[in-house]
This record gives sequence, C-alpha cells and structure tokens, in this order.
Amino acid sequence: MALRELPYRTATALCRDARPTVSAIQPLFRRNASTDAAPEVESTSFLDAPAKPEEAVKDFDPIARSRARRRGKKQLPPSRYQYREPKYYRGPLHPHQPLPVSDPASRRFQPGPFGLPRLDQTYQSTIAQDILAMTYQHYPPGYRAPKVEQRLREWQGESPYYKGRPLRGPRGKGEVLRLLQEPRTFRNIPKITKVVVHSMVPEAMQDSANMHVAGMILQAITNVRVESHKAKHNVVGWGLREGRYVSVTATLEREDASHFLEKLIDVVLPRIKEWKGVPGSSGDGHGNISFGLTPDQLALFPEIEVNYDAYPPKMIPGCHITIITDATSNKDARLLTQAIGLPFYGKLND
Amino acid sequence: MNAGQQTTRRVAARAGQSICRSCRNTPRTYATAAAAAPTPEHALGQHIPPVAHSSPSPSYAVNAGVLLSRPPQITRDLHPFEAAFFLYQKRLNERLALPFTRYFYFKARTPADREWKRKMAQRLTPARDIGRYKGYGEEAWNDEVLVGAKESELQWQVDRLLEDAETTGAEEDSGVAAAAANAAKDEREAFERPPGRETEADRTNDTRSLARALQRTLYLLVKNKEGRWEFPQDRLRDENLHGAAQRIITASGGPNMNTWLVGHVPIGHFQHTYSAPITTSTGLSEQGSKTFFLKARIMAGQANLKDNKLGLQDFKWLHKDELKSAVDGDYWRQIKNMLAER
Repeated sequence: MALRELPYRTATALCRDARPTVSAIQPLFRRNASTDAAPEVESTSFLDAPAKPEEAVKDFDPIARSRARRRGKKQLPPSRYQYREPKYYRGPLHPHQPLPVSDPASRRFQPGPFGLPRLDQTYQSTIAQDILAMTYQHYPPGYRAPKVEQRLREWQGESPYYKGRPLRGPRGKGEVLRLLQEPRTFRNIPKITKVVVHSMVPEAMQDSANMHVAGMILQAITNVRVESHKAKHNVVGWGLREGRYVSVTATLEREDASHFLEKLIDVVLPRIKEWKGVPGSSGDGHGNISFGLTPDQLALFPEIEVNYDAYPPKMIPGCHITIITDATSNKDARLLTQAIGLPFYGKLND
Repeated sequence: MNAGQQTTRRVAARAGQSICRSCRNTPRTYATAAAAAPTPEHALGQHIPPVAHSSPSPSYAVNAGVLLSRPPQITRDLHPFEAAFFLYQKRLNERLALPFTRYFYFKARTPADREWKRKMAQRLTPARDIGRYKGYGEEAWNDEVLVGAKESELQWQVDRLLEDAETTGAEEDSGVAAAAANAAKDEREAFERPPGRETEADRTNDTRSLARALQRTLYLLVKNKEGRWEFPQDRLRDENLHGAAQRIITASGGPNMNTWLVGHVPIGHFQHTYSAPITTSTGLSEQGSKTFFLKARIMAGQANLKDNKLGLQDFKWLHKDELKSAVDGDYWRQIKNMLAER
C-alpha cells in the first residue's frame, strides 16, 4: 500500500516548495462557520448572570410553589417510576446494572469534599516548595543518571524450569526490595497519601464490648467507618487465638486524613503532658511513620472529651497512628511530618 | 509491519511531512527493533559538558541574594463557586448520612438535651453551619439556597457556630423554661472570638507591617543605594552562598529577625548586564552581575534598617501581585517564577 503511494507522496513533498504563495496566505482569508459564531459565544461566568427582577427574587418560594402545584392532585406513586440501584452486582450481562459511584442515587455514593482543609492549603502554599528547595540535588546539564542494573537475582542452575521464571527477591529472611531513590523534581515531592489509625484490643477475646468501644472511639475521632480484623495466628505468649476478632483500623484519605492530622497536631498533642514527640526510630524505610497514643492521650480528642461519660473508662483503648507518605526514605518522610508539625526525639532511624 | 514497510515509511518521512503523526510515531515492534543497529555504548554513558573554555569568556560579578518571605498565615478565600459547591455537598450529606445519635451525646431530660431540642426545632438539622434545611422528609429536595443567600459564605458559617456556642435557643421564649435556660447560660465558659481575616495593616495599607495580606506570601523588598527596589543582595566574598545569605539577612534587616534559611541551594537567579564593562581591581573586565537567590523564611521579628551595612534606604513586605509593579520590568521577568502564587 505504502509502496504504491510512494511516488505520489514523494512528488508532492518535493513540489511543495514550488507551489504558489497563494496557498500559504490562504488560511488568513479563510472563513469558517465558527468565525461568525465566535462573538456570539458568551464569555460570562455564572456569577454575572443577568439579574432577575427584584420582586421575582423576593417572592420566590419553592416549597409554596410545589404545594400549590400538588394541591388537589394525587402525585404518582414514586417508587414505581424511580430507578433503584440493585443491591448486588450480578455481572456485566445482567440488565439491571449498578449506577456509577459518582451518582448521588448510587448506594456507594459518598458526598464530599466539604471544604478545603487548612493542612492541604499549607502544603500547597508552603511545605511542598520548601521541601523541594531543601532536598533538591543539582546535576549539570547533560548529566544522565547511571543505569540501574537488575536488582533481582537470576535463578541459577540446570533446571529447565528456571527459564522464564520470575526473578528472585533479595537474599535473607524478611528482606524486601528497597525503593529506588529518584532525583527530586517538582513532580515527586513527598506528600501524605493516607493515615491509618489502628487499635489492638486483645481483651476483646474475652469480652466483645471492648471491640465495640474501640470501634466507636476510632469512628468518633476519624470520621470513617472502622474495619475489624481477626488474629492471624495463635500466639500463646500473648494469649492470642487464631480467628478471633482482636483489632480495628480506620483508613483515612484526603479530607478526613487532613482534618484528623490538624486535630491531632494542633489540639491533642499539645495537651499531652510531657509528650516527647514521635520516636526517631520510627519509620519503615518506605516513607511510613508510626507512633502510638495511650488510652489517656486518646481521651484528649475533643470528640471523646465532649461525652467522655458515654464510654466505659476501663475500655478506652490506645491506638497506633501510621502516616503513609509517598516519600521513598525515612529521611524524606520525617522531613514532611516535621513540616506539618510533628517533632521527633531520640536517635533518628536512617 | 515488515521491514519493507518500515523502509518505505522512512523514505517517505525523509521526503516530507506528508505522513500523519500517528503513523510516523508508531512504536516499532520488537522484531524490527532488534534488527536495528544497536546504539553505541559510549553514547549512552555519562556526558558532562566541558566546563573550562580555552577562549576568555566574559566575566560577571557574583552576588548572593535573599528571598526572605513570610508564608500565608490563614486559609485563602474560597471562590464563590467553591463555596457553593461545598455547601451543596454538606446538604447532600445531611440527606444521605445516618441520623444523629442524640442519646449518645445528650442524656434524656437534661438541660443540654432540652437545649438541643430547642435548637433542632429552629434549624431542623444537626449541622450548625448549613442554614435552615431538613435532610429527611417530603421537602428534602429543597436543598438549594435562594438568590442572595449567605449560607455558603465562610463568615456566615463562622458566625452561626459562634452563635450556637453563646445562645441557648430560648432567647425568644418566655416563662420558666426560658428563665432556667438563661440562668444556665451564665455558667457557660467564656470563649474568645476569632480575630478578623483582615487586619488593621490591610485597612491602612501599611506595607511595612508583617501582619498584612495574611492569605498571601509576603516578600521582603528593600530600596538600595541607587533607589531601586530589589531583594536584599550583596557581592559574594570568600564564603559560600548560604553563609553569604545569613550575613546579608543580618546586615540588611538587623538582628531582630528570627529567620530560617530553606536549603543551601539557590532557587533563582537574576542576570544584569552593565551598560559598559567595568574593570575590577584584579584586572578582569566585568560584563555584568549575576545574583543567586536563596530562600529564607521569617518566623518572628521585624526588619530594622537603622544601621544596616548595605546602604539600604527603605523596606516593604509585598506579595507577588504588588511586587510586579514595585520592581523593574527586567528584574520582574527574571524573578517572577521563583515567587509563590499564593
């Protein structure tokens, strides 16, 4: 196909320079349908829409209008004509399909966002650029980073099954492949992606009320539904039995995470007596920072304090808070968490 | 796609731009990629351009500058569309959320419970900052605010929260219940009203004050010996850039500023060419000057030019929009990209 077209294409390409200049000027004089329509398009925003007459605005009452319209008339039964989302997903071929999550009529719809959290605004206006300035590493123009060789191990041996088998992880028990440290650019400034609040209540194996109280408290302070977890193994020393519910977690994202951190940093932590800070040994090397709060400290959250009497005092649990960032090292994660106002103490874990 | 087609395509591409872009940029298949000649290894290796030139290059004076800034202190004003959207989402949440568990928070037949009931009767919803709206029932569809309504404004919402804290909901009532409620009102703990989002310095347009334009980043701008407005800067001596920046901060603004130097790398530079080259004492002829700006934040204190060592005449704290008209056009063109938008 292309071979057959070649002579014509080559000819047009070579002749293009010899074409009269009229063709170059042509676009200037060309008129499209949109040229006339362009001035007709309104450039106004919703703010400066034409004002309604004064009395029409003053007298407008949607409830009264609706009642007047319905007076004396029977409305159609609503349930028969409204679309209800199916409770269960029955596969792509089923005629009754669920709505998209963004539709308010969907069962999975979550309203929000409800505001622009202060922490997010501070991050965008101050923290991100400061971290960029602090961690920027200059390379001369023309520098090319050395190529990262294969970090996983080959399968060595005679076995024919080694061919095409996925590569082996690093040597050693519990070793994982460390994250690559990319050079810092404006695209990979570390940010907080999630916050996980976790509370383990082994007493729940004897009395499930502990579990309920822990769940209520976590929901009250985080504003998200908690998830409960079973013990994975029998641990005789801790009295853990496999398969029993022992802990609750709340995973916070976006607005919830920002509001929780604001509350924690500005209200709760300053009120703790002799709080030293987050232990410097915290951090898993992949950008996650964790620290714990005791039951006394957890009771300082304003949501708990407002009706502290509603919770059985013996059952208030402690919790662990993990701040999950997309930093690739402890150092960067610490820089970010320090910037939002968490102090560290002791020997730092690098 | 076979090799013949590839060759044709290459020939056609060389002949002119008559092949559409998607065809020209089609990634080659693995087979043809393997057949192509491998790139020589040395081309992929490190390439650092030579620094030393054999011919004498024009020399420039090297200056260190300081971009001393005060970060935003409060949240920004929302665009009316954002405010309207957030109010809409809050009202939507009232419709979709589970009912408020009243008895978990208020014991039955207590003063707090009665106050709650009175306030619920007035605003119809547990949320205190979304106006009079009921999320359940026949008329829950009526969630839109009317023209000219103030419900979506931040100040209105703050006022409602404060009002909720300081009233008992029985102000308009009369009788025993109202008297009891008002008696209980005196026992409430006093609270401070939050200061306004506009300050005195904003109203008087006091550009020397740091308590102005709380929503914006403010930058220290000084008037130098020649009467030009620019960031504090000085010639680099036998020191490194961040050492010079520390010196310039103290030499220009005095010791009464608690500052923090953000990083040790410059975040921007300004290049200025003199009208005629200047011959320095070492015999070099300088074509102009290059100023490298380091970023610093002011935490507390205020600039004081009383006995500064750089011959500065005046100073101002300006945000980005004000800076544009305060500095020269060429200066602005080179510094504008290192300033924060907000």
